[in-house]
Amino acid sequence: MFSAFDVSTSSLVAQRTRLNAISSNLANMSTTRNERGEPEAYVPRFVVFQTDTEMTTSGGGQGVKVASVEYANVEPKMKHEPGHPDANENGYVAYPNIDMTSEFVDALSATRAYEANIGVIEITKDLGQRTLQILA
Amino acid sequence: MLSSILDTSTVPVLEQVVNFTQARHGVLAGNIANIDTPGYKTRDLSPEDFQENLKEAIEYRHRAAESPTYAINAALAGKKPVTGYDGMDQVRESMKHVLFHDNSDVGIEQQVAEIVKNQAQHNLALSLMTSQFRLLRAAITERA
Repeated sequence: MFSAFDVSTSSLVAQRTRLNAISSNLANMSTTRNERGEPEAYVPRFVVFQTDTEMTTSGGGQGVKVASVEYANVEPKMKHEPGHPDANENGYVAYPNIDMTSEFVDALSATRAYEANIGVIEITKDLGQRTLQILA
Repeated sequence: MLSSILDTSTVPVLEQVVNFTQARHGVLAGNIANIDTPGYKTRDLSPEDFQENLKEAIEYRHRAAESPTYAINAALAGKKPVTGYDGMDQVRESMKHVLFHDNSDVGIEQQVAEIVKNQAQHNLALSLMTSQFRLLRAAITERA
């Protein structure tokens, strides 16, 4: 019963990591400089999940872990803003190529997945309590 | 007589389980309280170590109950006192040494999950203890 807890918890951690990546993408929607202050558009990142074979239940259920955080392979959006300090020699500024709609949908899906796992944890708890009621 | 009734049942074992889960609850609660403390390392009491100690103590009690010479032999082999030793003292003592931290920064989800598991174990031990006492009361009052 306790391994079912661990599996659900692993998903909570993974989905929160995913939500953190989405928050980062949305927060840096208009970031035109990198951490060194040089003109470079923020590259959106996404989290890759992987089944965790070290965490298995007796019934064969498997946990999840964050395999890596990858950078999206997209070109920056070039916007014509000649007055901008980060504009290139042609007057174009590189903005991050982030689709707000899909980021929001991803955030929603991560939140729902988190909630679903909390639901499973509640059910697991309830199962344990009901087993205990046989004794009492 | 009452002490022999209580000591031969599983009550002393369950008592240690409740002691351990309560101590562990305090440690885990401290981890959650310090979730945003910079440089804080999560602490834990190892349930595996506790179970191992408890298992040894239970086995000792069983063997000693079966053969009177076992306690004497164990006392000669190890440094266990012959009288008044029931193995539970060792379990009680071991709880003071199993506090550890593994240098990893564990998130709030894991901590909460551990607290829930710990709570389930605590409630299980208490329920078992309650039913033990209910049996005893049934025997005393001669009705269930």
